[in-house]
Formats: sequence, structure tokens, C-alpha cells
Amino acid sequence: MPGLTSESDDLAMVPVSPESEKQPVVIYPLRHGLKSPIHRLSFSWACGNTLRVSVFRKPPSEKADGDGEAGGRVVEVKLSNSGDEEVDAARWRRMAYSSVTPFALLQSRKHSLSAASRMSLDIPPYKAEWWEHVIEYSKEISSLLNDRKPPPKSIIEDPKSVVNEIAAPMCLKAAWELLEIFYVDKQSQSWIPERLIDWLADYNSLFSGTLPTIHSKLVDFQQELVGVQVVEEDPNYWDAMSSALAVGWLETVVKLLRLHGSYRFDQLSSRETENGLVEAVAVLISKMPRMRPGLREDNLGECYKTKPDFMKAWEKWRTQVSKLDCSSYWLQCDHRQTREGLKNLIQIMLGNPTVLSNATFNWMELFISHFLYIRPFTAGLESMHNSAQKCIQVKPVSISHKLFGLVFGILGENTEVVLAECSRSFGPWMMAHAVELLTAGSTHADILLHEEHSKLGGVSIEELHRLVYAQVLSSHALTWQIAPIYLTSCIKQGIGLLENLLYKQPVQHSQILLKSIEICRLYELDTINSNIMRIAGVHHWKHGRKGSGVFWLQQARDEFRLNRIAKQLFDFVGKSVSDEGFKQWEGLIELLGSESRTAGGLEFLNKYRDFRRSLLQVHGDTPTDAARNAAEALVSLMKNPSTPQRFWLPLLYDSLKLLMWQERPLVNVSQTHLLLNKLQELSMARLRPDFVEADLPSDALSSVRLALATNLGGAILEE
Amino acid sequence: MDKAIIKLDEGTTCTAWNYSGHRLAAGSTDGTLSIFDSTDPASSVFNCSSKFKVHESSIVKVVWAPPEYGDAVACICADGSLLLWEEVVEDSELLQWKLCKCFDRISSQVLDVQFGVSQTSLKLVAAYSDGQVKVFELLDPFELKNWQLQAEFQNVIESVSKFGNVSCRSASIAWNPLKGEIQQSSFVLGFDSDTPHLNSSKVWEFDQDHQRWLPVAELALPADKADPVSTVAWAPNIGRPYELIAVATCKEIALWHVGSNPDSDGRLSVEKVAMLSTHDSEVWQMEWDMSGMTLATTGSDGVVRLWQCNLNGVWHEQATLEPTS
Repeated sequence: MPGLTSESDDLAMVPVSPESEKQPVVIYPLRHGLKSPIHRLSFSWACGNTLRVSVFRKPPSEKADGDGEAGGRVVEVKLSNSGDEEVDAARWRRMAYSSVTPFALLQSRKHSLSAASRMSLDIPPYKAEWWEHVIEYSKEISSLLNDRKPPPKSIIEDPKSVVNEIAAPMCLKAAWELLEIFYVDKQSQSWIPERLIDWLADYNSLFSGTLPTIHSKLVDFQQELVGVQVVEEDPNYWDAMSSALAVGWLETVVKLLRLHGSYRFDQLSSRETENGLVEAVAVLISKMPRMRPGLREDNLGECYKTKPDFMKAWEKWRTQVSKLDCSSYWLQCDHRQTREGLKNLIQIMLGNPTVLSNATFNWMELFISHFLYIRPFTAGLESMHNSAQKCIQVKPVSISHKLFGLVFGILGENTEVVLAECSRSFGPWMMAHAVELLTAGSTHADILLHEEHSKLGGVSIEELHRLVYAQVLSSHALTWQIAPIYLTSCIKQGIGLLENLLYKQPVQHSQILLKSIEICRLYELDTINSNIMRIAGVHHWKHGRKGSGVFWLQQARDEFRLNRIAKQLFDFVGKSVSDEGFKQWEGLIELLGSESRTAGGLEFLNKYRDFRRSLLQVHGDTPTDAARNAAEALVSLMKNPSTPQRFWLPLLYDSLKLLMWQERPLVNVSQTHLLLNKLQELSMARLRPDFVEADLPSDALSSVRLALATNLGGAILEE
Repeated sequence: MDKAIIKLDEGTTCTAWNYSGHRLAAGSTDGTLSIFDSTDPASSVFNCSSKFKVHESSIVKVVWAPPEYGDAVACICADGSLLLWEEVVEDSELLQWKLCKCFDRISSQVLDVQFGVSQTSLKLVAAYSDGQVKVFELLDPFELKNWQLQAEFQNVIESVSKFGNVSCRSASIAWNPLKGEIQQSSFVLGFDSDTPHLNSSKVWEFDQDHQRWLPVAELALPADKADPVSTVAWAPNIGRPYELIAVATCKEIALWHVGSNPDSDGRLSVEKVAMLSTHDSEVWQMEWDMSGMTLATTGSDGVVRLWQCNLNGVWHEQATLEPTS
């Protein structure tokens, strides 16, 4: 659904940028595999963003026998690609699942904080607390994006290994870290350039696929290095070092410098001066001042926490570099490549723009090298943005990388561009989760994302992205269960979409039914809950599972349908009096129980059940007490006005053995009169056209009459 | 991204998915209906579970009944008849599809049919080739054979005399998809006929007090009222203050906002918010996604188009799905 792009395979579009109307329509192929021409299409939306398209081919002409080809195909199109070229589907689902907890935690913290601060998170103590929460959230999400473990480090370190091939980093993580650097991590605001240097060091390999990069150059050189005897005579050796130095990979440069031939024992004496110069450069590089609180493992440089200290140290270091540049020792260095290569490294350290430009391959690398050597005291987004623009002029990009667009948007402080880039390049997951970073870090973004748009039916962009993400989650049977977490964080339309989602679940599968009920109870969606149970009840009832059917309809409190069932039972009981048939229905009458009191017929059914039970216990040799109970049940049934007339004769006929009890009459005189009266009433009713004749032997009436007469005689004698 | 999931038999003319998208009914020229099922809700492997002859003539449209009433389909056949089939297990027998109702057809043919769930009952609206609209009501929720004709009228907004000798090519009905308890049942209906007054789409609402159906809105500008309507689609509303309805005519696909509060005449306010180009083709089918944010359309151009609205309220074509072999 909602930010189609032609670059990513993702149709999940969010109508964010107003320019989208000018964008060309994206055409996607619908591969159906039919050879014959297509006659017509029809389609249907499945849950979430899934579209099922039926492709029909032309019906074959009457004459021609079928050519054996199918009459059509149904093609399922997942419009939101939950997993792109770098994230496969299973991995995507893992990511979706693990991001639920941090998201839900942050939402609940937001609720409690806004309750405590009376709706405004801008008041200082709450704001600070909120920051903490957002940082924690950001770190957690960032860590789960890195679910691939790095390969084990070899015990014996390869002295010639310069590029550490860590697990392929994901673009998503790179983008997330960018947002974290610029919007969330306030503590690192003073050393953003250094964080960007680290960022590029971590993710430079991401660009290698589409652009020439220093990373790919180093990888190439590393392969070459194995076969090289005299490394310092290889121009690539010097080029690799100057490139690595330009973007601040100091440890790589120092490591490479130490591979210089002058360090070898057999050559040390003859190349003393040369070695001294190499070492001097290496020392200068490793002592480069860095404006940051601490270094990462294996990194070189000297850290300064405050700007004045750093500036002082920087000036001093620069003076040392200049001094070395002008040193007279260069004249004594006979090795031309070494002399020129080292001089080049010094030029980089001195911030020579031409040399830096030659050493870097794209604007981002050049931009980083400017931070390091030309404008080490850069601060503020505006000056960074200016610098970035200059770098783009020097190294224009023919193929823009999606991360470049994001960096440029962030530096330009253009929230719309950042949103559009995120949405277009990183999809609905990113949008649903990253909005929290943007709103925390920028007032402009906060306003933009929370403003309600009447054109969108009153939702904010934040909510829109969550709705869209929830819809993506809904598209898959394994992820729909987590969509409610996101939907319930949407104030305006979340519940509406959740109801639609729940309504579309195949509840004849008991696991899905139970899950849906759980969700309904959790969010107090009573109407939809009843509806789901009703659907399940009707399905079971119609598919021969009567007990389950009644159970779920009772759970749904669907009096209407239960009454219909009661009536059906009622009709059935009237028709058949065989014990076998009764057993089949007995359980259902039990189930219907006394819950649905509204059904008049049910009261009768319950009494009838009791009567049947007591009658079944009466045999020739049963004690009279049991038979008396059965007779009382019969009389009470016959007295009860809710007992329908058409049951009278079957009831009496079934009770013949009670009426003709050998030992003594079970029914007294007045009761017998009542029964005789009923019989009389029945005879009158038979004359009416709408009378339904019970399915009984023709002599039923006379045998009942005879039995009653016998009983009356006995009863009179007894009294 | 795209994956073929079902191979349809030769001669298949129409398909319909049930409410959850886990069953497909496919009708064919010889009047057979095939049901495809997936055993596991998480799988997209579908197998034909039943195949039975519905009618002597070709099936042209299949519509599933709402799940609250079981697994049932209404089939419209080429000869204009309308049949209701249901899947049941009776008296511990095996599962089977059985015909539960064949609606009488006297002279006219059924063009479209749609089920609507109201508070207590199931309703069925059928539009006929003579311009008549019939609303049937189900009497017993478990007996899909007992239908009562609740109302019969023509798709006109002013109560003028009845139009005779009407001939309609097609009709399209869409119920308001909202399933709330408070909501009145309402539907929108448009015709492609030789009688201009019947054509334009009108919203019909059931008036509980007087027990009758009333036209509450007309979705056509005065100049376009006679335009034949090919298809209509009512968007699910997950929280908008207005309803959104798409109406396709020979000229365009129009999107309408329909207000929720009637004026003194009982009419709802309407506003045409977008005109989408049909690319000079006839639109045969339109359907909204579950959020009501994306409209999918297809027609004689043989592609599926997806339409969306941006933040400025401008609707535009976002993507096209084009069949390739």
C-alpha cells in the first residue's frame, strides 16, 4: 500500500511527499505463466497489503478441443515487501518481532510521562527523562538490527590483514545510526564529526556495490599484498595508505607503514634515515588529536574532551607535521617512492585539498576528510551542510546511494526530505519506528509529524506510518498478531483498522480464534469479540459440530441464534421419541442449559429431558418410587402451559407403562382428570385444519384413553 | 513479490475469495463451481476441495455470504438466474455443498447481487435487468432457503412514476462495509441502462421508523446524471468523519465524500473529491483495501491500477500491475 519506488522492490507506499503526484507511475510485472492471451483480470484484497489477481485466458473456441492449458491463474502479489534485497523474509520477521518490545515499552513510558506532566513532555525534568527513554529505545533497536554475529577472530593475527571483513552491515542499521547521531544522542552533539567518521568506517563497505570506495580499494589491495615482495615500490601501497588516512583509518595506515621494507632487520642498517622518516610519520599519525571522549578498540589518536584542549593539541600536532615536512632528512632519503609517498601522507595531514580529493572516491569520503584535516573545528548542521554541498560539487555522484540522500536531508535540516528518503528507501518498518527519534530530536519534525491532516481523514503522519506498518504486518499469517501493538498506539484510526483485521481472521482454526479472542479481550473490543465467536459458532454448527457451535454461540451471547437452535431442537423432539435420537440431542439441551432463558421452548426442553431421564429408569421391576417420580414429571409437564399441544399425545403414549402400572395407580384421580381433559382438548383440536398429527401408531389415542380409564378406576378404588 | 498460487480450470470465468481470503470459489462456463482451500492458515498452497454443478448455464459472478451465516455463495448465471449454495454437514454425513435457494426469475435477469449484514438479519440486494432493485431478508439465520422480499424499487431519487420497458446492461451494488451496531444499513447502487434516471449512483438507507428504503444521496454532478455507471466501491471507514465511495462511469472514476449527518430533507452532503482517468477503458472492478486508503481497479485495459491520496488530498495512480507471461 502506501511510497513506491522503482529502486526498491517495495510497493508499500506512504503518501508523504506532496511531489508524489508528479512522480511517474511505477509499473510492476504480474507474472502469471500462461501462454495464451489474457482475456481479463479480476482481483481481491487479502489481509493487509496482499492483492490476489485472477488472470483468465480467453475461453477456447467451441470447435477446438482443450489444449490442456489452465483456464487461468491466481497470482498473489505482496505489495509491501517485507524483506528486500538485503533482508530475507524470515530475518525480516525476526526483526519485526524483536522490535515490538522496545516500541511498546517506549509507548507505555510516553503514556505515563505525559500523564505525570499533564500532556506536555517539554517541561525540563520530563524532557530529560524522555530523552533517556528514547536513547535507550534507539540503542535497543539498533542492536537488534545487528543480528549477524561477527566471524570468529583468528588466534594468530595475520600481519597482512588490513581490512577487517566484519559481518555485512545493513543499510537499515546505517540509516538508524545516522538518525540516532543527529536526532537522539545529545551527549555526542559536540563530537558529531567524529561520530560520522566512525559511521563511515563502519558502513563504507555498503557503498562499495554501487560506487568506488576506499573500502573496495583496500580490499583489492589486500588481495594484491599477499604476492608483493617489496611493498614500498608498489604505487598501490602508497595510494591505499593515503586514502585510508584521508578518512581517518589511522590504525590501518600505521599497520601498512610498518610493512615498509626498511623495518626488515637485514635492511635496517642501510636504510636508517628512510626508516626514521617512516616511523616519524607513523608516530605523528598515531598521535593525531581527536575531539572525542574516548576511542574505540584498536583505534589510534589522542582524545580531548573539551574544545580548547583539542584546539591547543591540534595546533601543536600541526606544527609537528609541518616541521617534519620541512625536515632536511628528506634529502637523505634515497628511496623515491617512500619519499613521495610519505610526503603525500603529510600533505593529507596538512589538509591539502587537492591531495584529499585525489585520495577519496565519493563526496561522503571527501566530506569526512574535510572534517579531519581542513575544518577540524566544524560544528553545527549549517556549516556541515555547506561543506557537504562543496564536496558534492567536487565529486558529483552519478548514481546516488540511498544513504547519501538521507545524510544530505539530515544536514539540510529538511524533515520532509528525511521522511521521504526514509520512507522510499527503508520502508514501513523504518517509518513506524524512526518517527520517535525524529520527533524527539527536532521540534519541526515533532510538529510536522503530529499535525492532523484532514485530507487524510484526520490522522497525523506519525499515525499514518504506524497504520501502514500494521497493514504490512497484517499481510502475513506469522506477523499479524503483533499489528495490534502498533494499531493501539494510533489514537484516531488504529482501533478501526484493528477491528477490520480481526474480522478477517479465519476463526474456524481454533488457534487463530483463541488468539483473536485474546486480542479482543485485551483491548476491550466486545462487539468484534462477539462477532468472531458468532462466526466460529455458526461454522461449527453448520459443519456438524453442534456442541462446539452452541458453545461458541453462548460465548458470543447470541440469544437470537441460540433461540433458533432451541426451536430446532424443539421441533426435533416433537418428531422423534426414539431413545437413540434423544441421546443425540440430550447433550445439546444440556449445553443450551438455563443460560438462554428467553427461549420459552427451552424451559419445556429441560423439563422434557428430566422426564425422559426418569422414564428411562423405569423398568418392569423398578421400585414404585422411581415410577412415581416419572409420573409426577409427566403430570407437571402436562400441566405446564409452555408444553406445546403437539407434544401431549406423544408424551402420554410414551408413558403408557406408567399409566398402566401393575402394583398400584401412580396418578391420582384429579391428575387423571386433568390428563383426560387434555386428551379431550386434543380431540377437539384435531378438527382444526392447522393441526399437526404426531407420528404415532393410529391406535395411540385409543390406547392412551384406555390406559387413563383403567388408571382412573384404580385411583378411585384406592381413594 | 508475485507468486502464482492457484491454477484455474479451463473455462473459468470468475473467482471470489471469502471474507478471510482462505477459500476461493471459481465459476466456469459449464456451470461448475470449484472451491479451493488451504489447509493451514499460514500457507498459500490451495487445493480444490469441492467441485459441483451449480446450474446449466455459465456462472458469471460469485459472491460469498457473510461468515456469520456460514459458508455460502450466491451465483449469478448467464441466463440471469440467481442461486444460493451452502456448505453443510447434515446428520453426520459428509461435508457437501447443497442448493438452498433458487430465486425466482420471471422475465428479467439478475445483474448484480450483494449481501449486507444488519443488526439482526442478513439482507440481499439484487439488481435486475429491468431496472428493478429487490431487497430480500433472511428469516432464520440458519436457514438460507427462507428469504422474504422486503422491498422492491427503482434506482431513482425523486419519487416520479415508475419507468417501464427498461433495459439494463449491468448494475453494481456496494454495501457500507461498516459493521458497527449503531450503523444503519445502507448501500450504493448504479446502473448501466437505457433509462438516464436510473443510471447515476444513489445511496440507499433503511429507514427503521417507516420500514422502507430511502435514497439519501446521489453521486453524480447535474451534468453527468445520465452517465451509465459500470461499477461502485464503498471504502471501509476506520475513523474518517465522512464516507468514501468510488464510482466508475464511462468517462472517469469519481471519488465521493459522503457526509454522515442528513439535512432537513434527509439527504446526505456529497462532494466529488477526485476524478481519476480510466485511460479510455471500461472499468469492470474496483475494490478498496482494508484500511480504505488504496483503491485497486481493473477493466478492459487488462491491468490492475492502484490509486492513493497524498497529504494534499490529491488522488493519483501509484502503481500498475501489468500481466506478463
